[in-house]
Amino acid sequence: MTISWLQAALLGLFACLASMPGLGGTSIGNYTLGRPLVGGLVCGLILGDLRLGIICGLALQVVYIALVTPGGTVSADVRAISYIGIPLAMVAIKSQGIDPLSGNAKSMATSMGTLVGTLGTVLFYGTATLNLVWQHIGWKAIENEDFHKVYLVDWGLPWISHFLFSFIPTLLLCRFGADAVTALKTALPMDGIPMRTLFTVGQLLPCVGIAILLKQIVEKATDFIPFFVGFTLAKSLGLNLVSCTVIAMIFAVIYYELEMIKQRKTVAVDAIDDEEEEDI
Amino acid sequence: MEKKISKKALSRSFHHWYYGNLTCFTQEHMQTFGYLASMLPIVEDLYDNKEDQKRSMNTYTAFFNTEPQIGALVVGITAGLEEARANQSGEVDDETINGLRAGLMGPLAGIGDSLIVGTLIPILLGVSMGLSSGGSPIGAIFYIVVWNLLAYFGMKFAYYKGYELGGKAVEFLVGPVGNSLRKAIGCLGAMVIGAVAASWVPITTAISLKNASGKEYLNLQNQLDGVYPGLLTGVFIVFCWWLMAKKNISPIKVMLLLVVIAFLGVLCGFFNPGLKY
Repeated sequence: MTISWLQAALLGLFACLASMPGLGGTSIGNYTLGRPLVGGLVCGLILGDLRLGIICGLALQVVYIALVTPGGTVSADVRAISYIGIPLAMVAIKSQGIDPLSGNAKSMATSMGTLVGTLGTVLFYGTATLNLVWQHIGWKAIENEDFHKVYLVDWGLPWISHFLFSFIPTLLLCRFGADAVTALKTALPMDGIPMRTLFTVGQLLPCVGIAILLKQIVEKATDFIPFFVGFTLAKSLGLNLVSCTVIAMIFAVIYYELEMIKQRKTVAVDAIDDEEEEDI
Repeated sequence: MEKKISKKALSRSFHHWYYGNLTCFTQEHMQTFGYLASMLPIVEDLYDNKEDQKRSMNTYTAFFNTEPQIGALVVGITAGLEEARANQSGEVDDETINGLRAGLMGPLAGIGDSLIVGTLIPILLGVSMGLSSGGSPIGAIFYIVVWNLLAYFGMKFAYYKGYELGGKAVEFLVGPVGNSLRKAIGCLGAMVIGAVAASWVPITTAISLKNASGKEYLNLQNQLDGVYPGLLTGVFIVFCWWLMAKKNISPIKVMLLLVVIAFLGVLCGFFNPGLKY
């Protein structure tokens, strides 16, 4: 499997739209096109193997299920994961002859995508730094009462940043990276220690993504309980994700009602306190 | 006559924010230009002379950054404030507007990051991944449709509520209903993530002991599954959580540590992905 110039260019265009801060906007760009699951769909369509694309996207989506970027600090770049990592992983899986439905295909995609995604943060900083130039033009325009230039600065000029830091890197890495990935097959035998480590890393990495999410939810040890209830439903009882969500909903409703009772009580107690103070 | 922002200007302002809140992002002024692009239709609608326009635009040159989707609320609130300023109520000046913006962006970023990015999107993705397992595109399409409808209409709702209610719009988010809702959704999110972890993170060990005649007498993975199915996955996730939450180790360092663990595990035979051509 190779990636043609046209295919690489299309991937490059999607990289421009999907990054954070992308030109597709936040909701459509970063949070839709940038998610690896959607990236897998797009890459699958562009490279002509929809199923493999989705499978690679799924594998990476677990790792990046909670890609929160508080205050603009990024630990991975979505354009690199979804539009460089996924295509290269697809090529690697095909050229190594791995069964797309096997766990090893998932591990391969995870290792490849995570590596590219982490290195890709350099693209994020590149884009954000070049945008400083456009913002400078914007400040001048406001000073000169040329307000409509604000639109050009916000929507137009960043395309130049993205051409340099999204389009070109994606184009070149996809076009030439595919050959390098294919060459890996002869360089590193599958039963050697490096490849076995690579695939094992692919199995372990999603734990980091899940743990990042838990970091936000879990404040005390008992907060782990809902997580492990969901875990047990899926693992021990073998329910699929939609069924688990339905069961989770009833707990959420009960939880909501309980919280409302609690909150109403505190409000009532406050009101009584107020009255008592007035009496005094 | 009292000035009122035209419907068209409000709609343009909202759509400018919806699309352009982060397009010209820098570390120095994250969403400031998105904000300027969004306020410009309002400012032009309310003021005819360049002097007033410039004064108002200058107000919005102050740094702004929050979770952009929930942040539509703040843009809506300032549209309302700008309208009040145009009517010379005298109570609204630069300080009122920027004080409010600065006061809201932190708390709203916290709510938006944890509720939208940290809970709603993962739940949607979790369900979508379930629908897509095996390589079907249905889950991805489901996510695209549902998420974008929620994001567009949610942001629109927040923007117009902000415009109509002003500062009161925030009370819902931090009031009893908002608080209870947040906790309930957090519980739902935790359960779905648990199911995602169980379905998509299979960590297994290859250790098995054989007796002299080659018959297996201990298969560690089966033993572990007998205790609690998915035990190793659970242990690794709690371990990563502990490193990041309790030891303040960055995600990238945790990933590197996992590479080391994988290497050592492969060397001693604990892990073996069973690769072959």
